Amino acid sequence: MIMGVGAEKKLSKKASIGLEAELRTRNDLKTIDRWTLGIGGEYKPIKNVKLAAGYLLLNNNFREDISYKADGSYNNWRPSYWGIRHRVYASVTGSYKLTKNLQVSLRERWQYTYRPEKTVERWDFDNYWWEDKVRNGKGKNQLRSRLQLEYDKKHALLTPYASVELYNSWAIEKIRYTVGTDINLSKQHAFNVYYRFQDIQHADADDATPDMHYIGVGYKFKF
Amino acid sequence: MKKIFYLMVIASCMVACQNDDTDFSAYTNGTATIPTHVINISYNGNSVKVTGDNSGYVSVDGADVTVNATGKNDSLLLVLSGSTADGSLLVFRDKKYGIQLNGVSITNPDGPAINNQCGKALYLEVASSTKNTLVDGTAYDETKSYQQKGALFSEGQIFFSGAGELDVTGNCKNAIASDDYIVVDGWPIITAQSSTGHGIKVNDGIWINGGTLDIKVTADAARGIKCDSVVVITRGDITIKTTGDCVYDEAEGDYSSAACIKCDDAFTMTAGTLAMTSSGDGGKGLNCANIVNIKGGVFSAITTGSNEEGKPKAVKGDKGIILSGGSFYAKVKKSSACDNGVDTDVPSEWVTVVGTPFETSYDKKEIKVVF
Repeated sequence: MIMGVGAEKKLSKKASIGLEAELRTRNDLKTIDRWTLGIGGEYKPIKNVKLAAGYLLLNNNFREDISYKADGSYNNWRPSYWGIRHRVYASVTGSYKLTKNLQVSLRERWQYTYRPEKTVERWDFDNYWWEDKVRNGKGKNQLRSRLQLEYDKKHALLTPYASVELYNSWAIEKIRYTVGTDINLSKQHAFNVYYRFQDIQHADADDATPDMHYIGVGYKFKF
Repeated sequence: MKKIFYLMVIASCMVACQNDDTDFSAYTNGTATIPTHVINISYNGNSVKVTGDNSGYVSVDGADVTVNATGKNDSLLLVLSGSTADGSLLVFRDKKYGIQLNGVSITNPDGPAINNQCGKALYLEVASSTKNTLVDGTAYDETKSYQQKGALFSEGQIFFSGAGELDVTGNCKNAIASDDYIVVDGWPIITAQSSTGHGIKVNDGIWINGGTLDIKVTADAARGIKCDSVVVITRGDITIKTTGDCVYDEAEGDYSSAACIKCDDAFTMTAGTLAMTSSGDGGKGLNCANIVNIKGGVFSAITTGSNEEGKPKAVKGDKGIILSGGSFYAKVKKSSACDNGVDTDVPSEWVTVVGTPFETSYDKKEIKVVF
């Protein structure tokens, strides 16, 4: 489950800034997977083109890690732990109206995520004791490419959409398939519900999750 | 709609309180059942009797015993007994295990008496009310592909325990050596002596939490305890004696002196007794490249050697000597009693006293501080 809440302030016809917060769960809602706080801004230099940039503070519940010996017996177990990550991003989105209400858009987003060094405990099955393990600081660049099709009818309550997003870091790491709809209650209040399937391809240890099905809900306040 | 959203958030936060880790609590709280594999090895002159070797770990050549338990995940205990004048124990393993010295005497003329090639913990129990002897030869067979650094050598940590007697004699290199760290628990009575190397040589620190240690080394530039890391004494009765002179170290371009304890990192003592005497030329009591911290216990360092080539010091702490408890006594026949890295001729400035001692006396060749 993914739950998000955000606020957006229009600075002009072309520019806006916003705050966002997000909570993710896993393990059938039983485990908090991550919470996020973010700040960002958008700018539309010309029609059909949008630029965006921002910063996200991510607090992850990194999943446990179990290593095995060649004979299949346990070697080490590092339990799940909470760790901060920092992310900056910049994106450019181009959109094109196929028909009056049907719009296709392509968003290219670069993001850099840094995980600071942290000392965690792990269980050594050889010695039957806890030992310290230093997870070194690590930075990572990713390019996210999202192709989205949406039906955006003026003054309509719903704006349904479907998208495919590729995470690329010298190889396709994961693919997100999303279908959902924005629910435009008023000019100020908008909700969002969606279903997402996340297909893991070549994720590294920090993103080593199994393929996931998400239900997402969100709320945005515009002023 | 808004209410539904808020309810979902609240509900999720309420239930999202379990982790999804694998339950290893049986391992971490010590209730997991791990069958102990006990192998009895009884030396008898030039032969050995082995019982309990259900997995075929043990091979024997005369009284030279090799235990090969690499890749095995069982809980292994080797129980040694008997006597041999030409035997040994060599162990290959990658998981912690135990050796119980149950009244054993091993002399190996061409290598270590016990050579532990396991990089993990070795739990070495000196069984209560037993006397055990480990002696190496004057020359090792250096064609071996593995390391041999003393009469009792371990690649991994050694955890001493028990309440029996253990005499270790090094005739070629060191008496006891570990390429990891050493912990002494319980109350074993350990004698380590060497005429060629150090009494105890250890890379990653030594923690003495009990027991009686009697260490004697006679070689030039030999150390009773040679440690590349910290030395921590929290209990126990320790006596260390060196008689060797200093020698000129070509590589260092300086004289290398004997010392009862030589440590490259901090020395800390909180309880117990430590009595050190060094009689060779330039010999030192405690030679610490870091800070000396004495918070309790009875500490004594006396050197009686000359200063013809080296500079005898009872206590040398390059980054300070801090006394905050217990009893401290340092005395030299030549040179100065203490050296804390500060360029001063005032004896009271060679140590840093924290608190109010019961008795103090500062002399160039004798310093005493008692709390």
